[in-house]
Amino acid sequence: MSTSTEVSKWRHLPPPPGFAPAVSSSKASGKSVATATATASYEELKAKRAWDLAISPAKSLPMQAFMLYMSGGGVQIFSMGIVFMLLSSPFKNLASINTAFAPFAPASSSSKSLSTLPLQKIAYLVCNLLTLALGLWKCRSMGLLPTGTGDWLAFETRGQPPEILLV
Amino acid sequence: MRLFILSLLAACAQALHSYEAGVTDWHKPFAGVPLLHSDSTSPVFHRSKREDGQSSSVVLSATQSNVLAAYHSVNGSLAWRHLFEDDDNIIAFEKDKDVVATLSGPGGAHFRIFDSTAGYLLSETRLHDPASGRLQEPESLGTTIAFGSEEKEKDIFVLTNGHTLCRLDRRTGEVRWGWTAPDQTSLVVYSKIRVTPSTVYLLGLTKSFASYTLHITSLSPETGELINSGDYPSSITSGLSEVFILSDVNNPDTNPQIVWLEEGAIKSFRLTPDLKSKFSVVKGAVYKTIEDVGLSEHGQFVATTDDGSGRVVKLTPEGLKVIWEFSDSATSPQRSGSIYSGGVDVAGFPYIARVFWMHSLRLASAHVFAAHLAEGKGLVTGFTFPFKTGEHGVIRHVAVEAANPEPYRVLARLALTTSTGAVQMWQQDQLQWSREEGLADIRVAELVELPEPKIASHSDRDQETFSARVARQLLDAKDFPQYAVNFVRRFVTGSYASVSASVAPSANTSEPLSRDAFGFRKVIVAATSHGKLYGIDSANGEILWSRVFGLGWAAQVGGQIVPVKMFVTRTVTDGDSPQVVVVTQRKANNGLVDTVIFHVDALTGDDARDKSQSVDVLQGEDIVSGPLVEAYLLRTEAGRAVVCLDEFLQVHVYPGNDEATHALEKILPSLRIPLRTGPPGQRWLTGHQVPQQVEFTGKHIAYPTWSLPFPPTEDIRAIFARPSGPVASFGKVLGNRTTLYKYLNPNLVGVVTGPPSTAPPSDSAACSIYLVDGGKGTIIYHTVLPSVAGACDVKAALVENWLVYHYYDNEVGVNQAKGHRVVSVELYEGYGVDDKRRSSELSSLSNETTAVSVYEQAYIFPRGIRTLTPTSTSYGITVKDIIVANENNQIQSFPRRFLDPRRPKQKPTAEEAEEWLIQYDPVLPDDPKRVLSHNYQVAKTRRIITSPALLESTSLVFAYGLDLFFTRVAPSNTFDVLSESFNKPQLVITIAGLALAIAVAKPIVARKRLRERWYN
Repeated sequence: MSTSTEVSKWRHLPPPPGFAPAVSSSKASGKSVATATATASYEELKAKRAWDLAISPAKSLPMQAFMLYMSGGGVQIFSMGIVFMLLSSPFKNLASINTAFAPFAPASSSSKSLSTLPLQKIAYLVCNLLTLALGLWKCRSMGLLPTGTGDWLAFETRGQPPEILLV
Repeated sequence: MRLFILSLLAACAQALHSYEAGVTDWHKPFAGVPLLHSDSTSPVFHRSKREDGQSSSVVLSATQSNVLAAYHSVNGSLAWRHLFEDDDNIIAFEKDKDVVATLSGPGGAHFRIFDSTAGYLLSETRLHDPASGRLQEPESLGTTIAFGSEEKEKDIFVLTNGHTLCRLDRRTGEVRWGWTAPDQTSLVVYSKIRVTPSTVYLLGLTKSFASYTLHITSLSPETGELINSGDYPSSITSGLSEVFILSDVNNPDTNPQIVWLEEGAIKSFRLTPDLKSKFSVVKGAVYKTIEDVGLSEHGQFVATTDDGSGRVVKLTPEGLKVIWEFSDSATSPQRSGSIYSGGVDVAGFPYIARVFWMHSLRLASAHVFAAHLAEGKGLVTGFTFPFKTGEHGVIRHVAVEAANPEPYRVLARLALTTSTGAVQMWQQDQLQWSREEGLADIRVAELVELPEPKIASHSDRDQETFSARVARQLLDAKDFPQYAVNFVRRFVTGSYASVSASVAPSANTSEPLSRDAFGFRKVIVAATSHGKLYGIDSANGEILWSRVFGLGWAAQVGGQIVPVKMFVTRTVTDGDSPQVVVVTQRKANNGLVDTVIFHVDALTGDDARDKSQSVDVLQGEDIVSGPLVEAYLLRTEAGRAVVCLDEFLQVHVYPGNDEATHALEKILPSLRIPLRTGPPGQRWLTGHQVPQQVEFTGKHIAYPTWSLPFPPTEDIRAIFARPSGPVASFGKVLGNRTTLYKYLNPNLVGVVTGPPSTAPPSDSAACSIYLVDGGKGTIIYHTVLPSVAGACDVKAALVENWLVYHYYDNEVGVNQAKGHRVVSVELYEGYGVDDKRRSSELSSLSNETTAVSVYEQAYIFPRGIRTLTPTSTSYGITVKDIIVANENNQIQSFPRRFLDPRRPKQKPTAEEAEEWLIQYDPVLPDDPKRVLSHNYQVAKTRRIITSPALLESTSLVFAYGLDLFFTRVAPSNTFDVLSESFNKPQLVITIAGLALAIAVAKPIVARKRLRERWYN
């Protein structure tokens, strides 16, 4: 895996002097079939790993939910830290979605493009949204979401009454 | 439970500590303005001998506030005072050696004996049922106290109801015998007693066609048996003020004589037990009046002849004799009429003082006559004293005490009572002390904010040239090092203003008035019904300035100025010195009533209209020639204006300049004025509007638009409105984060009704509280309360959407007891949560003003109260507590949280706990820690004013009635200042230490990093 990653990542770099191309060139024709199958299995493997990455946020959800449960409903440093992590990590993940999936990009397409691995990326997005939803649910249960009218009361204004009462 | 403990902690933090008493608060006790209409209640000197042979002198007086008081003659401090109940009017008091006896209540129902030096109540006796007391006019008629004729331990003879005489024991108040006139229905009213060792003489008057006839009864002092009784032919026209009995304590063999004035002649009648003797006439002159100056037991009185000169007449064994005529006492335009007063010295010799005002010299003059001096020929000592008539009005009453330290030398002490209610002590021409007792009768008062202190001198900066300015700034720069040192010191040690410190200025500063850092210091401007306006420093209660209201044209005929309303027309935020307008009614003695406006600068008391000098009386502006219906403060574009409505509902505006008139005309169509109209028993609340067209009189005349009739059994007792403070929040957020929107209808008016005063008192009569939309007369809230024998003792306050009222519930039912109740009512918009109607900006014509949901709960209040007021703060964020003046003469606060009408009846749920609601408990805790008034007796409080300070957390509280009391409260604790225990040096030292550590460690770390790079 690490080799493939390096190869895919650095394939535009010239190989160091005295390395493989000279050795492999004599057997190129004989081994081309084997190389093709190996490449195909690599691609398959990469796709599989991409799916793994895509659903990884969902896998950690039960654990995070348990941590949230343990951290309690009060607004304290620990629960706030966890909530902050839950709320920020989906955005962080989504911001670096292309970089995260770049190692798994098939050789045929450009590794940084948004359109590579579209299904995996959509799944990743959904899983991250699940994490975000968990964080928001926690916020709501702690009363940090301005959902009630009471949260907007301070911004309400009233005008002058049209009449003046003299008492 | 946790919340309860929290609330208890909050309560502890609230309590007043003893070291704060007298620092953050002050209390000025008063006795009230002396009652002058009768000799039996007016001020008198009393000297009592202590056991060590020394004697101490006090001035005793009964007052208009229904208090019996004694002032130390030496320094004017209150030696003691006894507060009589409001329905127990003090009628007469009499002193003898170490006791003072009083009669009070209708017809003299209650008899009390006090210790004269300490004021202890020694005994109290009810002589008859107050309901059976005869109400006489004047009140003092038919009730008298006299002491017996024994050498020591004199018993007390008390005449009550005009026909009952009792002999009471001096120590216990026990009745030894009583005698009642056999024919009570007759027209005889007894009024005077004179006791001799052998006989008690009762002097009464019988009413005949045009005048009174003398009626005398003699009784045995030991048994009360009737010796003789009879009418004596006489014709007295002026009533009892000019009939008295003379006797001479220094010459007990002389028979007492009755003296009266009949057709310009002084007639007298020698009293013998069998009442058989002839009357005689003092010859020599025609007399206008005779006056008992309090020396009838020394056989002296003053008679005024036809030309006004005063003569001293003395009882001698041979009869009455004129022994002196005061020189220059005849009526003259150069001086005022004379006031005569008698007093005694330590040895018991009588003196008569004559006090008058000399118009030419603008000085008061006193002549003191001593009959026994100069070998019995009589000696007069005279002196003038600089009485300030511009400050204290005119002298109304004089009491005198004299001393005779050496032959031919008389020292006199005069206790003056003035028309403005001041009591002053003059020793010869020196003012010893002066008490402003008029402050016991404040009608209206306001707290006025002070300007900021002026730090730099603003000396004509505008005209300054450039070079002069540079020179000045260079000169100013010499103070910079000192400033820098001070800044550092202040920054390090943190000597900032403290919220629990006194804000009174140091004694020797003569700086102009300015506020303190937190705005705790204000000027209390107060107007009394004795025609005086005071500016009082709220920091320590000292009087900063005072002005006497001028009578205007009524000065010729005399009159009285009654303050009705007071408005602050200019505040510090308007940029200039604050100003106050007092709206008064002037009741001239010829029966005319006018409305007069006085306009003063609140800092100095100067006339803001520049019509009167600061040393002279304050001149007002007659704004309405007639009585006033109502006066209001109106905020217009041109600043604040005072709007007055006269009897014909004409609108008068002050100031009357064009600017104010135009500004008023602009807002005229939007004015809504609810007024009480209709005759008693048919009272209506009628709404008025003002048209934009003027009538032919040049004034706008308000016209009625709606009226709200109350049932014929109800009469409007009071109308109250919410104070005009800011509203911080338009709703109340519940635990589930929905909102109850506060019902803030700006037209809401509270009305208290009760049975009409003309109706016979009955228990079935009821009182009511209404909340009415003052723009259209809709009743928003109505409740019926029980009355106590036809009297409505309902105290109510309305603030924001919260109505709180207190009453006495005398209805007894199952599981119910009589007691004081307080009811807390909250009004919210719509019919549930999140039902927003924007009530505070609704027109009164909108139907939505009636969409109200009401939450209310009743609580048992620990005791009766005199008045209640909510606290007020500058932004309205702080919780509003209720400040009450309770019947124990204390000022106490009750927290809003206990009065929340949404307190749940069961254990609070989590959501309710989130709102800090505590479980309903019918009894409001009577927490002594919430007594704001320390251990002072804040007596007969009539009103409490609360006023915001600059600190949002703190509200200033000023209570007036008989006493003045001022303090400050922080209902939500002082959340906006650092706590007093905050350790600033520690913080500074810690930060300095850290900075030092960084400075030391930084180069070390840098060196280490560099080394690591090289050798790694």
